Amino acid sequence: MADVDRLFRTYNAALVRYLTRRLGDRDWAEEVAQETFVRALRQTSIQNERAWLFAVATNLVRDEARKDMRRRKHLALLAEEERDEIVEPEETTLERAQEATMARKAVDGLAERDRLALLMREEGLDYNEIAEALQLSPGSVGTTLSRARRRLVESYEALQKSQEEREKNAAS
Amino acid sequence: MQHPDEGTIHSWLDGALSADETVRLEAHVKECPQCAAAVAEARGFIAGASRILTALDNAPRGVVPVAAPKKRVDPLVWRVAATVLVVAAGTLVVARNRGSNEQPADRVMVSRQQASVATRVPAAGGPAAVAVDQAMPKAVVGNAPTIALSGKTGASDSRFGIPARENNALEKRAMMPAGQAAAASEIAGAAAPTASTFAPSHVAGVVVTDSASEPEPLKLVGTPRRIGAKVTLYEVAPGDTVTLTESVPLALGKVVVTSTSSASIARQGTGKSAAAPSNAQADAAAITSAAASQRAGGAPASAPAVSAPAPKSLLAMANTLHTIMWTDAATGNALTLTGRMPEARLQEIKIRIERERAAAAAKKTP
Repeated sequence: MADVDRLFRTYNAALVRYLTRRLGDRDWAEEVAQETFVRALRQTSIQNERAWLFAVATNLVRDEARKDMRRRKHLALLAEEERDEIVEPEETTLERAQEATMARKAVDGLAERDRLALLMREEGLDYNEIAEALQLSPGSVGTTLSRARRRLVESYEALQKSQEEREKNAAS
Repeated sequence: MQHPDEGTIHSWLDGALSADETVRLEAHVKECPQCAAAVAEARGFIAGASRILTALDNAPRGVVPVAAPKKRVDPLVWRVAATVLVVAAGTLVVARNRGSNEQPADRVMVSRQQASVATRVPAAGGPAAVAVDQAMPKAVVGNAPTIALSGKTGASDSRFGIPARENNALEKRAMMPAGQAAAASEIAGAAAPTASTFAPSHVAGVVVTDSASEPEPLKLVGTPRRIGAKVTLYEVAPGDTVTLTESVPLALGKVVVTSTSSASIARQGTGKSAAAPSNAQADAAAITSAAASQRAGGAPASAPAVSAPAPKSLLAMANTLHTIMWTDAATGNALTLTGRMPEARLQEIKIRIERERAAAAAKKTP
């Protein structure tokens, strides 16, 4: 499919961001995004490009997640080693790291469908595209998104609160 | 208009409602403070969620996601389970083979004799069925599952924990050339020997001299069954064997079917006349012969893979065979010794045989 260059330029950034948010690993996200575009190459025609790409990427993540438990364990070890080695300037980095950790926890606490719908919406997919990618009825996307947003924010705020309490306890 | 639900409010804020719905909802929210608050809250959630998700964009490279999509059983658990299963299955197989080895014991021997048909000599046979057991120094190869003549390697044998001695015995047997004399299996009768080649898990009753006692004792390499005669195969030198046939008076009342193989192939084989052994037999012989020659590492494997109906080759071989006959002083039985060596050598062997028989008899009756 000659169109793949255009597809890549149009959707790669959003797809990688979506996948990074979903996976928490930019390298892995880029890999999956590339594989998604490779799959697109094999298609003779794609009706709704964005919905198709996000759906395929989501499925790839699901499949790969099943296959790559070992690889990810290995990566986890490497990342841990790296983290031990790197001494970062405190304050802002620490704060950001805490934010990222809490955000990750909050996102992971969502139901898979809610999480994916939310991440897709954040990348600009409209309700029909989300419905197509996740095989939902278009009418239920609003409910799914409202639930996902509420839970995400509430969960994040709860984590924030307990973090503040811990810090307060540590200070006193 | 009714109060819109949260999903509809989000749909509206996301621009997913139709024009009509949008107009109606906007009008309602203007007039309804409760719904206006709900809309404000929804905006907050949308912005908050967006901000939280942005925090995920700083994900480093080569890092693992926190959440594993699906919990799976540790591969180690599977490995352990598989190991246990394999061991259990193996134990079962070996145990079953051992159990079935209680059967009478002529099977492998008969296979061998088919492989070594070339020099088969019709021995003088009075009618009598007796098992040959001369109480010579011997090592009985029994309970050796799946080894004999099936072409398996020693390495695989060792998996089953078969003692080295048994392997030795088998190796020796495999070293026997195809040209050795063997008793006719034409009248093997109900013994149905061919099955063993196809199911070589029943190795029993193979008698081999193992101990190296004084001046190279005759190696007893087999006692093929024959009605009316005791047949004993001796290996006098590597690759050189003689057949001792001792005719015994027959007592029909004592004929016992000692091997009732259930294999249908065997039944086919025995159902046919002696002069025309079945294909199954021929196949069995061929397989056995191949296996034997494989092990013997280039031992002559020219033996035709059929038993009786090979008149040409038998005649040819008969030219090189010599036979001496005498009567056993102790039993009065007629003894025939056949081999490919000159008569003078046969006489020497005869003396050795007699000596060993006498020694064995002395041992038997202390």
